[in-house]
Amino acid sequence: MAKMGIMSFAHMHAYSYAACLNELPEAEFVAVWDDDAGRGAAAASQFGTTFIADLEEFLGSGIDGVIVTSENVKHRAMVERAAAAGKWILCEKPLATTPADCQAMIKACADAKVGLGTAFPCRYIQSLLAVKQQIDNGDFGAIYAASCTNNGQFPGGWFAQMDLAGGGATMDHTVHVADVLRWMLGKEFTKVYCENGHLLGRDTDLDDAGCLQMEMEGGVIISHIASWNRAKSFPTWGDVTLELIGEKGVVYIDSFNQKLNVYNDDAMKTEWAFWGDNPDLGLVADFVAAVDEKREPSVTGVDGMRALEVTVAAYKAAAEGRTAAVQRAAC
Amino acid sequence: MNLAIIGCGGMGGNHAQFATNCGLNLVACGDSHKKKAQALAKRFGAEATDDCMALCRRDDVDIVGIMTPTPTHSAYVIAAAEAGKHIFCEKPFGRTVDECLAAEAAVKKAGVRLFVGHVVRYFHEFEAIRAQIEAGKAGNVGFVKAYRGGIFPQGEDMWFRDYEQSGGVTFDSSIHDYDWIRYVFGDVERVFCQALQRDDAIDYALVTLRMKSGVIAHVIGTWAHPAGFRVKVEVCGDNGMITYDNAEAPISSMMRQVEGGQPTMIVPANPVETSPYQLEWVDFLAALEGKGEPKVTPEDATWAVRIASAALESAKSGEPVTL
Ligand SMILES: NC(=O)c1ccc[n+]([C@@H]2O[C@H](COP(=O)([O-])OP(=O)(O)OC[C@H]3O[C@@H](n4cnc5c(N)ncnc54)[C@H](O)[C@@H]3O)[C@@H](O)[C@H]2O)c1
Repeated sequence: MAKMGIMSFAHMHAYSYAACLNELPEAEFVAVWDDDAGRGAAAASQFGTTFIADLEEFLGSGIDGVIVTSENVKHRAMVERAAAAGKWILCEKPLATTPADCQAMIKACADAKVGLGTAFPCRYIQSLLAVKQQIDNGDFGAIYAASCTNNGQFPGGWFAQMDLAGGGATMDHTVHVADVLRWMLGKEFTKVYCENGHLLGRDTDLDDAGCLQMEMEGGVIISHIASWNRAKSFPTWGDVTLELIGEKGVVYIDSFNQKLNVYNDDAMKTEWAFWGDNPDLGLVADFVAAVDEKREPSVTGVDGMRALEVTVAAYKAAAEGRTAAVQRAAC
Repeated sequence: MNLAIIGCGGMGGNHAQFATNCGLNLVACGDSHKKKAQALAKRFGAEATDDCMALCRRDDVDIVGIMTPTPTHSAYVIAAAEAGKHIFCEKPFGRTVDECLAAEAAVKKAGVRLFVGHVVRYFHEFEAIRAQIEAGKAGNVGFVKAYRGGIFPQGEDMWFRDYEQSGGVTFDSSIHDYDWIRYVFGDVERVFCQALQRDDAIDYALVTLRMKSGVIAHVIGTWAHPAGFRVKVEVCGDNGMITYDNAEAPISSMMRQVEGGQPTMIVPANPVETSPYQLEWVDFLAALEGKGEPKVTPEDATWAVRIASAALESAKSGEPVTL
């Protein structure tokens, strides 16, 4: 039985991962640590586990693995502390906000001989798995082009602050799809163009709309919308969609389009009730198994860094008004 | 008033119907393939010819409709203008900006009216989107996305397959969206484009327009699908969103195949009382009668070609093109 802890509930995904830990019979959710004691204690009691205010005490409490779900810029320090204490780590996306931070985290985990995973639950979405299988079977032949979206509602809070988030919508909503494409097509990104800005009046100084055009090895052309463009009145939080153009056919995937339309007079807004499988459960189950088997999580720290490098190139391109090469850091 | 149509293919046939619905008298049909001119002429009791330049000069013709492949437009526009005819030209106005400017100048000099068929401005759904934007339903708009396309078009002698002639989906089809976006959101600052343009008739174009206002517009064009025709629009602002998808249509029918074989799906149908193509003629004819300006000016049509040309240039250079 893997003994698991969560470091920080700053990111809302922590609540889903915590529920997954409680759902998985192979995991024991033993402790929560948070630099916001009130938030951490409340989360611990919500999920029936113990809050430990002191980080050393938390790391010494017999846990085998931790999920890091802090603000983006705090990932590195927390991952380094946990690695030094010999813990297996699953870190929320983006892995960090600079490639240098990613590199340091990857090195810290390698030096400590612990596994480091990046939380990319999209790899566990059944529709994406099914299409990946079809691509691998050669059903679509070569893939020539893609147009993608990771649209979302404005998350607010620390996501709106440069010093905690490290960037706006482009930072928040590029890496999932970048990772999905690397995984599905088995290719690396080569260059990126990006138009972005604060265009949607969201309560932040950061970019709330991003539009990326990218190229992968072999000349695959790709566009991607990374944006907080969903209205508050939109029926759901957002989406992950991909249209792939292949030699033998095309496919459109609307990953979360397994939903009911719910018209409730108290809400006075149409809501979509999702009924598909929970991808977070697959992600957390893989991490728990990695902890148990003392192996790397399936989606690694390097995967997290490669996706972040696309984001970094996007900001560079947007600032310079021309394409930016995707720089792949050594690892 | 009497109409002559040059180019009796897909669009020539459409316009023959819609123009005559508006009371025009189709007197002559011209096509470099005389058989195509004859076929259309027969349907409407008109004369047929393969001498289209002569057709531009016929005394009994008041309006010349130009529905030929894009690179041939400007020569016919100029000939018709010099003969004092009013002109309805299909989009794209020309294959290059220079062609458009020459045609614009000829029209101005002759003092005739030119209308270019940017039909999307007349589509009910696009007018409805514009009305919602103007009513402030999305608030201040910061992002717009348009998606258009389906199967690779055939055309006579497969002219669409020759990217030099048609410009591919980047130029020929997405120009509808460039024009509409410029119509609603103003002028374009810069253009970035990636285009597939494969020789095996698979084309896909990804275009980002940065408007002078700051608005970002993403235009996706596909001639990469094995079937169908899809149009999607999304408008995002600081107080809401407006979305449209032509897959959500009032009619979807499926015919039973009595003799065995697969049932055939009929594409979703969206009937309206007056076709947007006919509304183009209504608007143009009203302008000819002195009742106001049509929604599309020659300058607008040149601008659309300028944006589309910049997209092709960007696809080639790999870098954005500033207008
Ligand atoms: N507004 C729209 O929705 C829309 C849709 C399709 C096409 N178009 C435009 O309409 C124009 C025609 O397209 P189409 O789909 O009808 O093509 P088409 O190939 O079906 O028809 C073109 C016709 O022009 C004839 N032709 C070719 N070269 C000629 C020449 N030099 N002189 C005289 N006739 C000539 C051909 O024989 C053919 O009959 C193009 O500019 C295209 O971009 C507009």
